[in-house]
Amino acid sequence: MSLPAPHPIYTLRGAGGALNTLHFRCHGEDPHLLFSGSGKGSIHIWNLNSRRAEKVVEAHSGSSVTWVSTLQSTDTLISQGRDMQVCLWDLNEGRSELLESVWTGSVGFCQCSLLETSPTNYLLAFAAQQTEEIKIIELPSKNPVCTLTPKAKVGMVMCIKLWKTNSGLGPLLLAGYEDGSLLLWDVTQRAKLSQVRAHPEPVMCLTFDPRRLRGISGSSEKKLSSWTLDSQNNIQLQDDVTLVNPGVSQLCIREDGRILASAGWDDRVRIFSWKTLRPLAVLQYHTDMVLSVAFSDHQDPRQRLLAAGSKDQRISLWSIYNDGAGKG
Amino acid sequence: MSPTMSQINDPKVAFAYLRPACVLLTKEPTVANVETLGEQLKEIHDASLQQLQEYVLFPLRFVLKVPQLKKEKLVQAVAEALSYVLEKTCVQSWDTLHDLFSELCLCLCSPTDPGKPADLSEELKSALLRCLDALLHAAYGDIVFKLYEPIMLPGLGAAVSLLLALGEKEKSREVQAAALRCLQSLILHCDCTQEHVIPSSDERCSVGSTMASFLPGIAMAVSRIITGNLRQGHAVTVRAIKVWCGSVGLVMEDAQLQSSKACETPSQELGRIGQLVVQRAPEWVKSTAGKLSVLLKKIISCTSAHRHWRVRLEMVELADHLLVACSQSLRECVGLLLEALVGAVNDEEPKVRERCEAALREISQRSQSCSRSSDGTSQILADVLSENLHSLATSLPRLMRTSNDQKKLFVLKVFLGYFKVLGPLVSVVLNSAAHLERISKALMQVLELDVVDVRIVEERSHGESLERSSGSVGSYAAHIPQKHFLYFTDEKIFSVLMEICRTLGFYGNIYLLTDHFLDLYRQSLVYRKQAAMVLNEMVRGAAGLAMATGAQCLDSGVQGPSASQEDLKVAAVSIMEEYTSLTNWNLITTCEETDGDRQDQQLLSPSRLLSISISDTTAIATNSLQLIPSSSAPPPPSMTTSTVHQLNSNIWQLCIQLEGLACLAQALGRDFRPLLMTSLYPVLEKAGEETLLVNQAALNSMMCISQACGYSSLKELINDNSDYLLNDISLNLQRLSQHPQAPRVLTVMLAHSDSSLLPLIRDVVQDVLMALDLSYNHSAALFCSVLHALMKALARWFPVSRCRTGGSARSKTSTDDFNCRQFLLDYQKQKDLAEGVGIEVDDTEDLEVPPASEGEDAEDICGPDEKSELPSHLIITKEVAERCVHLLSDPRLQLRLKVLEVLELCVYVLSERENELLPMAHRCWPVLRQRLTADDPLAVLRAFRVLCTLGEACGDFLRRRVSKEVLPRLTSSLTRQAPVSAKAGPVYTHTLAYKLQLAVLQGLGSLCQRLDLGEADLDAVCEACLPYLSCRQPVRLQEACLSVFQHLIQVDPDTFWFTLNELHCPCSYTPPHPDLPPIQLSGMGRPRDEYSDNVLKLLREEFGLCDGSVC
Repeated sequence: MSLPAPHPIYTLRGAGGALNTLHFRCHGEDPHLLFSGSGKGSIHIWNLNSRRAEKVVEAHSGSSVTWVSTLQSTDTLISQGRDMQVCLWDLNEGRSELLESVWTGSVGFCQCSLLETSPTNYLLAFAAQQTEEIKIIELPSKNPVCTLTPKAKVGMVMCIKLWKTNSGLGPLLLAGYEDGSLLLWDVTQRAKLSQVRAHPEPVMCLTFDPRRLRGISGSSEKKLSSWTLDSQNNIQLQDDVTLVNPGVSQLCIREDGRILASAGWDDRVRIFSWKTLRPLAVLQYHTDMVLSVAFSDHQDPRQRLLAAGSKDQRISLWSIYNDGAGKG
Repeated sequence: MSPTMSQINDPKVAFAYLRPACVLLTKEPTVANVETLGEQLKEIHDASLQQLQEYVLFPLRFVLKVPQLKKEKLVQAVAEALSYVLEKTCVQSWDTLHDLFSELCLCLCSPTDPGKPADLSEELKSALLRCLDALLHAAYGDIVFKLYEPIMLPGLGAAVSLLLALGEKEKSREVQAAALRCLQSLILHCDCTQEHVIPSSDERCSVGSTMASFLPGIAMAVSRIITGNLRQGHAVTVRAIKVWCGSVGLVMEDAQLQSSKACETPSQELGRIGQLVVQRAPEWVKSTAGKLSVLLKKIISCTSAHRHWRVRLEMVELADHLLVACSQSLRECVGLLLEALVGAVNDEEPKVRERCEAALREISQRSQSCSRSSDGTSQILADVLSENLHSLATSLPRLMRTSNDQKKLFVLKVFLGYFKVLGPLVSVVLNSAAHLERISKALMQVLELDVVDVRIVEERSHGESLERSSGSVGSYAAHIPQKHFLYFTDEKIFSVLMEICRTLGFYGNIYLLTDHFLDLYRQSLVYRKQAAMVLNEMVRGAAGLAMATGAQCLDSGVQGPSASQEDLKVAAVSIMEEYTSLTNWNLITTCEETDGDRQDQQLLSPSRLLSISISDTTAIATNSLQLIPSSSAPPPPSMTTSTVHQLNSNIWQLCIQLEGLACLAQALGRDFRPLLMTSLYPVLEKAGEETLLVNQAALNSMMCISQACGYSSLKELINDNSDYLLNDISLNLQRLSQHPQAPRVLTVMLAHSDSSLLPLIRDVVQDVLMALDLSYNHSAALFCSVLHALMKALARWFPVSRCRTGGSARSKTSTDDFNCRQFLLDYQKQKDLAEGVGIEVDDTEDLEVPPASEGEDAEDICGPDEKSELPSHLIITKEVAERCVHLLSDPRLQLRLKVLEVLELCVYVLSERENELLPMAHRCWPVLRQRLTADDPLAVLRAFRVLCTLGEACGDFLRRRVSKEVLPRLTSSLTRQAPVSAKAGPVYTHTLAYKLQLAVLQGLGSLCQRLDLGEADLDAVCEACLPYLSCRQPVRLQEACLSVFQHLIQVDPDTFWFTLNELHCPCSYTPPHPDLPPIQLSGMGRPRDEYSDNVLKLLREEFGLCDGSVC
């Protein structure tokens, strides 16, 4: 820890609201973009070259945007708002037209999870009208795939993560619930594979590394809890990480699987080694709760950035642990 | 009289007409007879004259032949007549030509030595020379070449040496020129407008062979003429150059030398004459060329910097001619000639330039066509050029040290010319490391700056300059002092050097050059400034800015710079990164140890204080700000011994780098906009610098950048990029120890932008305040200047509309239409009110008018909303004011002063909202009172200004506090000081006490009026001020005191009318009714005393003086 504390390489301001969600899109030749969803209902599209908002989409008629993402294949933006809508936007050629919208009925804060099964088809998992219910639909056809409701009483769905296994099994879904439980669902079987109580408090966020079959979840307490999936798809609790201050809004693993970032309620972003979960750095810039973190998907590992969005209406961009990023 | 009309066209008639005169002339050779013949000749038509030529010539030649007749006048008349005939006719017979030629030569030469000119009058000489010239022109093509046969060598030689002697020694310019013109005709290089015989190649060759015998003589003598007397006039020099050029070109012509005839051995018949014939064998050519090159060098050095452009033009002609005709035979001169041409490429005279460009173009085309046919002549040319360039670069530093400015200028022009001629080949030449090294080192040495000027380090900018510039952005142009160079002073030299750099950039490989010069930049402190200068211009050149079109270059096909916009961008980024890196940007430009002292002095200096007390907007913005050396930047090697030179050098380096950023912007144009992300902040940082030069350079740079990027003004530049700036500011505020300049940047930004910035500013102000809160001790001073700038900006952006003019309006109406009855009625009413009569009635009325419920509702609905929707500038102001309250009791006097200024601005801005202002006034009152009553006089002064502003804004809110806590002290101090100042001498006006008096007097009046003070207080004020009405007081105190009374009179005219009249009453008043007692005022009938003048003035201005019948 002899190195001086890092500083953000840049900060983006002018979002005009708390930044609930961030999403990079840096592949391809286009100007590299960062999408942010604000508490005031606008989605800012930041050009990372000029470091300015290229466009602002007023997406959810003023209600907070909780999640944004883009599709790999097309210029489509997906956003979820607290107006209980998930909207698809066409961003081709500088447009921002509403393509579709899906009514979720969820009043919670649970962010959707997206899984692209093929260039034209993708699955979207979201919390549904019933507090414990998760719905998965296929897009763009909007065909419902399944509805997953736990039998046990676990409270509201807090966070979900949909991914595809290598082992030939269908897509799996991890979900964190209000009582601190983590459930693993098999989407095709519509069956619960495993359940574990990771936290005494509600699970605020979770992230999962499908290559290592290892995940981590955060809560409103001082602990991050990591776990793995064994060959029987059972969730095995592993080490805990104790934080200085309680509360984590989001967790994010860099694509190369080397570091993990946490968005803390204590205004700080913490960086951990994903392998050992050793704390590496504390990024201090924001003056209010950090609500979201995201790593860029830039092709050149050296140019991968970390973005943190905070309640103080600023986004900070950091360039950290990029030098020896050879493993990819 | 028009001769052509009446000319005789019939040969017979002509003969008859001329005959008597000819006969007479033969018999009696007199001047008159010759002139008669001459007159008659003019009436003969040319064709007839041709037929009669021999006949007419005879008597004339006869005169010349008879020796005893040789009188000067006669000979001259004959020569003129002969010239006329020869100009009109042709000589067809060899004998005539030969005889005439030798006769004329004989006339010219002295009888004893045929090679020397005779001692004749100038008129005669020029007549004879004209005649000779006419003869040579008149000779027919088939006979003229007989003149050059070997047999003629002795005669011809005599003529040549005669002409040379005339050309060289003669005093008269005309004769000189005429002799040289004859020589020109003789060497077939005449440039007159007449028709000339065009020799065949054989003929030319034989002429060449003959003239080869005289070449040494001609070349030597003519070069003496050329390099000789500078005052001989350009015409002679031009002619001489022509002769030189013609003779050398004739004899050394490649075409002749290559043919076999050149070295034919002379036939045996010639006998001894045969020895005179020169065989132009290769050895002879070589040795001759060697000798010629020596002469050529002399000639070029003498003429290429000649003052008259015609001479330089002729030089170009010579070089061109010889390069065309003799490039093989004169191989060793090619370099010299090219150098001469190249040097003339940048001539001031466009004609010379054009000719030179044409010549060079021709050369390059020729060499290119050669290179296409055979191998590598162009390569040879390029080689010669690059070789010349190398040697010139090697000797350049020495030349720059030793020679005079004119010579330097020429050398540099040659240097530049090489680049221009090489054109795109420059990049090839520069690929040679030796060349690049030489050239760059030469530039480094030549461009060395002189850094001894102390003023540069001393000069400081004040905040005002910043303000001023923001006011009139368009017309603003900062004055940038000249750079002083060690090795030259001429501005022209500098501009040529800069053009050299631009040309380098234009043709060279931008990557290579950028790399190389950046290397030099990093290599050593010694080269840093020069390398930066070169880089700046190079980039401009690479963008094709300020470049003449590339017409001169060898390869005329290529137009436009070699570097693409993309290359340029890459180069620009690397240069910019280097310039703005911490080590190269955060240079120390002030001596720390003296900084604080100086600021104190500045603060205490009378002029500044005066300005503070006069206008409320003047303020010290940047100069009381402490320069904190950046701790992250490695300290320069000898921090402790950082001498003035080093500081000076640092300042210049910064200036050059700032200019550099502007150059980069100019080069990239709108493409520079993305680079503003990283470059604007550093520039603004320097714009906040207190060293005048750096400050100005930064402002200039900003102007350039905003223009280059297509912004209409500085304001637009800053507003459009405020997000980039604020980002850096906010980040750097968090690491203030490394980036102490962050607040300064904000200051500059605020000074140059407008209220549209506010939403973003608000964000950063939070950062500023937080940073301030975290470091009250260390950087409070720094932050205070930011807060000051901020409040000043807010005050500018949101000017407060003063609607509190009720007081004066009321007093106006009461004085205008004074009605005695109404006054008494009002008085009665007031008195009743004071005693409590009728209060209830009034109260109920008041309550009834605004229904209470409505008022409540309004409060309920919009009350809380309004509170949250307070405009952000007011929120900021409130926050700042809060800090001010804390900082007002800081132990540092300077800081307190600064804070008082900020507070004043806060009050001004807040005065728009009384609801916000009054609580703030309440909060800051205790500390302010401390400043007013128990502080350094300086602080009292400033605090009083704040009080005045507060009084202006909150009116009677402060009445009680002021009258209780402050006023007694002020009045007592005024009273105490009055006798002192009345007795004091002129030096007193420089003391602090005086300034305090002045400030209090200046502010007191309006304060009293605003606060609506009670009678007792007014009396106290009046009493304290009265002594200052004395004419013994300093004038400005009197004026200030008058202003106090003017205000007081507005508050209560009657009282003060009375008071004044008590003091001095100029006129008597008669009561309107005899029943009333007579008016007795104690000032009546008093003699004039020290107060009378001012009292009278007041009475006159405020009351219209003795408007005797008041009632």
